[in-house]
Amino acid sequence: MTAVTSPAAVVRCDGVVQIYKTREIEVVALRDIDLVIEEGESVALLGPSGAGKSTLLWLLAGLLRPSAGRLWLGGVEVGRLGTRALDRLRAAQIGVVLQNPARNLIPYASAAQNVAFAQRAVRRRDRRAAGDLLERVGLGSVRDQPAGGLSGGEQQRLAVAVALANRPRLLLADEPTSQLDADSGRAVVELINEVGATSVLVTHDIRVSEAMSRTVTIRDGRIGAEGRDGEDFVVIGREGAVQLPPEYHELLPPGSMARVEPLRDGVILRRAES
Amino acid sequence: MLRGLWRRRWLSLVVLIVAVVPVAAASLAPVYTGAARTAIIRNALDGAVPDHRGWRVTSPAEDAGELARQVAAPFLRPPIAGAELLSPEIKGLKFYSLLWQDGQCGHVTLLKGRCPSAAGEIMVSRASGFLPGATVKLSAFLEGPPDKLRPVPLRVVGVYRVDPADPFWFGRALFPQTAGVTEGNGDPLITTPQTQARYGPPPGDQIAVASGKAWVTSAIVYVDARRVTSQDLAALEAVQGRLRDLGQLHENTTVFTYMETTLQAIRLQIDSLSVPTTLVALQLVVLGWLLLFLTVRDLVAARAPEIALARLRGLSSPRIWAFGLSEPAAILLAALPLGVAAGWSVATAMAGRLLRADLPVTVDADAVAYGVAAVAGGLLAAAAAARQTVAQPVVEQWRRTPRGRGRTWIPEAVILTITVAGLVELLAGGAITDSTGQRAGALVAPGLLAVAVALLARRLLPLACAALFRLTRTRGGIGAFLAVRQISRGPATASTVIVLAAGLGLAVFAVAAWSVTSRNFTDVARVHNGAETVFVVPPGDIARLRELSDGIPGTAPVVVVPGPPAMLATDLERFASVALWRPEYGGGRPLAELVRGLTVPVAPRVTLTGDRIRAHLAVPPIPKGYDVVLYADFRVAGQTTPASIPLARPIPSRAVYEWGLPRGCQDARCELRGLRVEVKTTGSTDYDTPPDSITVTSLEARHEGRWTTVDAGLDDMRRWTPRAAGGSGLTLSISPFGGVSASAPATFPDPLPALAGGSTGMKLPGLDDAHRAGYAATTPVAAVPGLNAAGAVVDLDLADRVAYGYSPKAEFQIWAAPGKGAEIREALHAAGVPVLATRTVGDRVAGYTGQGPGLALMLLVVSAGAAALLALGRAVLALYASARRRTYELAALEAAGARVRPLRIALLLEQAVTLSWAGLAGVAAGVVAARAALPRVPEFAEAPVTPQLDYTLVPQPLILVAVAVLAASLLAAAVTAELLLRGVRFEQLREAPA
Repeated sequence: MTAVTSPAAVVRCDGVVQIYKTREIEVVALRDIDLVIEEGESVALLGPSGAGKSTLLWLLAGLLRPSAGRLWLGGVEVGRLGTRALDRLRAAQIGVVLQNPARNLIPYASAAQNVAFAQRAVRRRDRRAAGDLLERVGLGSVRDQPAGGLSGGEQQRLAVAVALANRPRLLLADEPTSQLDADSGRAVVELINEVGATSVLVTHDIRVSEAMSRTVTIRDGRIGAEGRDGEDFVVIGREGAVQLPPEYHELLPPGSMARVEPLRDGVILRRAES
Repeated sequence: MLRGLWRRRWLSLVVLIVAVVPVAAASLAPVYTGAARTAIIRNALDGAVPDHRGWRVTSPAEDAGELARQVAAPFLRPPIAGAELLSPEIKGLKFYSLLWQDGQCGHVTLLKGRCPSAAGEIMVSRASGFLPGATVKLSAFLEGPPDKLRPVPLRVVGVYRVDPADPFWFGRALFPQTAGVTEGNGDPLITTPQTQARYGPPPGDQIAVASGKAWVTSAIVYVDARRVTSQDLAALEAVQGRLRDLGQLHENTTVFTYMETTLQAIRLQIDSLSVPTTLVALQLVVLGWLLLFLTVRDLVAARAPEIALARLRGLSSPRIWAFGLSEPAAILLAALPLGVAAGWSVATAMAGRLLRADLPVTVDADAVAYGVAAVAGGLLAAAAAARQTVAQPVVEQWRRTPRGRGRTWIPEAVILTITVAGLVELLAGGAITDSTGQRAGALVAPGLLAVAVALLARRLLPLACAALFRLTRTRGGIGAFLAVRQISRGPATASTVIVLAAGLGLAVFAVAAWSVTSRNFTDVARVHNGAETVFVVPPGDIARLRELSDGIPGTAPVVVVPGPPAMLATDLERFASVALWRPEYGGGRPLAELVRGLTVPVAPRVTLTGDRIRAHLAVPPIPKGYDVVLYADFRVAGQTTPASIPLARPIPSRAVYEWGLPRGCQDARCELRGLRVEVKTTGSTDYDTPPDSITVTSLEARHEGRWTTVDAGLDDMRRWTPRAAGGSGLTLSISPFGGVSASAPATFPDPLPALAGGSTGMKLPGLDDAHRAGYAATTPVAAVPGLNAAGAVVDLDLADRVAYGYSPKAEFQIWAAPGKGAEIREALHAAGVPVLATRTVGDRVAGYTGQGPGLALMLLVVSAGAAALLALGRAVLALYASARRRTYELAALEAAGARVRPLRIALLLEQAVTLSWAGLAGVAAGVVAARAALPRVPEFAEAPVTPQLDYTLVPQPLILVAVAVLAASLLAAAVTAELLLRGVRFEQLREAPA
């Protein structure tokens, strides 16, 4: 299948494969990823641990180059960019919030300095005023406090503020609410939605995914399902592969055989009795 | 950045300390070298006799003071002006020096009267015998019109006593009467400049100059050792050149000095200083860089999350480098002034303790440049250390995925190759194979060997631990099991072993080198000095020297004449009682036993006093055409060459011949040293019937008008050599065809029996430096007290019998028995004997320590010791940091039910094994380096010819270092293990591993 081409696509993955090489073995983290994210969409990346969500997020952040396939960010193919150009793209168009809020921050620098640090790589006119940004995330009163001394919720909000410091076109966040209580988590998600940027969030939190306009579920390095408007769909892969959602594994256990019965608008899978 | 430094304050502090070390080591070398150079110059000047550290300009035609003032330098003392007129007293009994010198009243002790203050006044020594109020007249000091010249009456107004060794007198033998020499010259008559001005001929009076009646003006110029520094050496050499030129460019001007010799000695020592100190500093700087590399790597690694953030935010590479290196760079920049200050402080302390107290220790441009170079190297090390962290992909860091196996063997192989290549180069270039110990390049060998051994040890430890895997599976508990596995896989182990082994290797080498060198310094100083204290006294004759020694118990009279071969003549029994001797030099025999064989029975000397000598001869027929002359050779006091007289021109009809004795024999005793005939032939010579021989039957001398027979032993065969005497007298051939035509009293054997390392076949210089007699070692010895070169010790009386006089090169010494130096100095002073120089074993050892190689080794000991301590500290920190990262694992093990005790044992074992292994590897590296390189490392600026240097290691300091290293390692291991285990908490398991 070929990804839908759209001039408004912020992200476009075309058969993206990502392989990690360790000392002795190679691990295929993502395979045949086809994905298009339009301007203004908010996408929740779902899936079990080790499925490849974070890897996809890092690819979208331009921190990795696909081992195979093609990846466009903001209409620019990542594979054609040099390191410096990729750095500039990331600095100007992409904001990233890492999983642990503390990892996003320089602990001994103040909240305002953390924002300023993220703005070093872009032109002055592209920067948001740090004070305004901190006010907006509700941290105006602690702008001069060292980041290491803030609470978990404050750190997470500061991490979002840092990610938004350069008016990014694409906001990427990895488990932005994992270490927060429900209220703080909700506030962070609202904040992300409010800024209006295209956003991709990795999450295990059903409340976060429900707040997104779209969900993409990754299993075993493939996109297994997508959800839109509260309805989940399986995604037919490049070779016609379909990942059955786990709730149907009881009916069609992995390894069992099934008959494919064609219909006018699709197919039916029936378990073949042995 | 400052907040970051504060957040990582302990690590930053460690980096700062580590960074300060190479800067301090680098700047220490030039600062200390500068101080050492100054010390060399000042020591040389302080230890030199006056004419070796100053100049005496004299001129009868010009004002010597004015001439001397033309040569000005800040380190020169103002010239001591003076003038002198040498003249016999009017009665002609003695010559006196009428003199004045600026400031003379401050350099005499008045026994009676006062210091002269007006024209015509003088003061005299007590030994002169003149009394206050008396008048002295000199035949050359006259006044009045040319046709009515009369001696100026000089009135004695005071009686003085002087210290002849006072540099004010320039070490001249000005006071012979005070010194006990009653013949010849008298003590000076000290007067005033007004005397010269009023009675003397006007300056530049050419007639007076030509007639020797002009005053000789003088100026004594000294270098002020307290003001001269190493920067002044070139200026000092220029001053020497200009003063030397004064003597050459101005007529009748003479410049007395041996400053050239002193400057040569200074230059030799200073030149020997630069290379070894630079090499030592270089090794320490490189070791410091290695430490810096490892420590900065830790600092940068600690900033890895921040650097990853910077990459995440899209900062450009230069900015990331700047961000990553900002803290190390700031620390390094701070380390520059701190390191230079530390280097200066250490140099000041070392200079004060090891060199001398009055040295100016200054930080010059060189020191700063060396410090900057060390910082620049540190920045490169920091950049190299940061490269991995800065260049590592962010994702890899977050995922903690192990990168491909690092090819650490490549840099190690490069280092080992460089090491081997360096050693081969040194071997091929002669630095290592040359065993003379004068190749400073050998000083890099210890560093190279230490690094090589450290790298091997780093590879062997994991292998050894891996070999223990099977054993620890079945026995030893979980502690040993965990420990050997951790060591075998731990990267911290590698850097710890390398740094600690290399640092300790260098330190152990330094300790070994210093202990061996100190022993050699003492041994060489003992042999070269001969006795614990040696006093150089004014030259005279050996009778006076012996008399002096006889009067002071615990002394030996010694005369040394430089060679080659050098000769040391002494009273053997006294020599054996005061000389520093080790029985192993003489095959286990005491010195007293060895010197017994140096005295042999000899014939008595043939002495006579008088104005005429008469010979009784039996003369055979002498054919026509033969001209025969009998000569007599005499030793005359005050001369260093034989005085010969044509005693007889024999003819058959005459038996008695008479001739005048040399002038010096009229009042003093002369010694007949030989009779010889010379035969000349003419054209009409009858060769068919040559003459046979003449016989000298007796000799008589006339003294005060009376003839007395000289006891020449002409009838005793044993008293003359060759054996021409016997029967009726001494028979000398006058045949042109051979036979004994010359014979001398057999008053000494030739060769002289000697205490020596072996005979060189050369003749000894003798007291008159005429090389008249050879020598033969009675028992070869490994070293001879008092000699620093090939030479021999001979009996003083025999040496005197060989000589015709005393060479200016002969140095007269009084040796003091151990512990009696001060007492004997007092006794010499009481006897009125000036001590021109004092040489002690301690001074010589201090001198060797102050020479280039000694200073370099001391620098190595201090710096390598500090570097080794730093390496140990860095190793402990690295192990601590490495183990701290594993507290998560330890917490998990503890949570899984593992008891704390085995975990403690595991940690303790891991750290103790690593540190001890590194420590032992360091000790082994140091010992190997010492054994291999010590014989090639220079210990002396000029390699001593004798005694042979001993390079066997001194075990005590090495054992002490090894034990201290092990104890420190075990203590550090115990403390770090305990600290770590106390930090292990279950709560850590709730957090992601750090």
